[in-house]
Amino acid sequence: MTKRNVVEWAVLAVSIAAIALLVAALILTGLNENRPADLRIELRPTEARTGEHGWLVPATVRNEGDQTAEAVVIEATATVAGEDEASEIEVAFLPAGSEQEVVFAFSAEPGSEVTVRLVGFQLP
Amino acid sequence: MTDEVSASVRDYIRAAGGGLIVGLPLLFTMEVWWHGFELPWWKILLLLGIGFGIVLGYSSIAGFRRERTVTELVLDSVIALGLGVVIAAVALVLLGQIDGTTSVREASGKIALESIPIAFGVSLAATQLGGEATDGDDGANPFERLLIAAGGALIFALNVAPTEEPMLLGIQAPFWLLVLVIGVSIVVTYALVFLADFGGRLRTGAGILGHPWSETLTAYAMSLLVSVVLLWSFGRFDGVGLGPIMGMIVMLTVVASVGAAVARLLVGGHSEASSD
Repeated sequence: MTKRNVVEWAVLAVSIAAIALLVAALILTGLNENRPADLRIELRPTEARTGEHGWLVPATVRNEGDQTAEAVVIEATATVAGEDEASEIEVAFLPAGSEQEVVFAFSAEPGSEVTVRLVGFQLP
Repeated sequence: MTDEVSASVRDYIRAAGGGLIVGLPLLFTMEVWWHGFELPWWKILLLLGIGFGIVLGYSSIAGFRRERTVTELVLDSVIALGLGVVIAAVALVLLGQIDGTTSVREASGKIALESIPIAFGVSLAATQLGGEATDGDDGANPFERLLIAAGGALIFALNVAPTEEPMLLGIQAPFWLLVLVIGVSIVVTYALVFLADFGGRLRTGAGILGHPWSETLTAYAMSLLVSVVLLWSFGRFDGVGLGPIMGMIVMLTVVASVGAAVARLLVGGHSEASSD
């Protein structure tokens, strides 16, 4: 049996730790995967700003469920200068527990409060 | 002792380099990231297990060390996979595919899938790029050559399997074209290994598997199997009819069979280089 030196032992230890951590993470998160995709949209009007092409308001869309949501379409509506205006955004992938920053745009600062809604999404 | 340590460091740097060479194309393939969170967790674990099994098989033919006990063989394979995991994690962070907003489930899925090809590269580097040919090696036996062929098929096909293209090609191809593709694949791989006279041309061995045509056909069958496993792994068969499934398998096997041929050439070259 060939003897291993310090470097080889160290690499072996790191390898075992890395694999154990990875497998544990996969199993632990995997076993708790029972809730369907659960999307939350959080609008942040305080961070809104006026840009070259109108009024921009950032939002965070988060998936609190355990399943991936694909092609997530969300829509923000508001009344701008007396007219109803909608801003629609699609998020390609929203894995479980992950979040995505989006920005809704309106032609000008709305007179009413901005409301957001989930239009729909695909299951993987 | 210091020499020994620096030799080990050099070995691992070479191994990591090999891992990057094989793993980079897939680190830059978005379908692999997506599969990291789309595939069910048990399938990812299963793939990791299959990947480890292949690394184990590969290391048993040749690896970090020549004379080894079974324990050492397993430990070397653990190191290959472990290096794969670490390299995948670092690369995914550097590429911005894992950041503060990534969930543990998503990150672990991505790392697990990306670590598999890197681990293959690591164990390949330990065998093929080392420059030191085994003394008195008579070349791999037919069974080992088939295992090597499967490894080559896997590494080549793995780069293509997660993408949409084999699916599209398979769905669009008419039946007669698939038959033609099978024939051409077999002839091309036969020519590559036995006629093209590359540096590492195989010596044909004894027995049924030693015959050029039978080896070509067995290697093709092996490549078909690899394609089936890969396509199933990436969920390409879900909700798809038998026709398109056959098409996808045949089209992916074009890549797999060439990989199998290249792998056999590499190993053949290994034995010939040591005989001069």
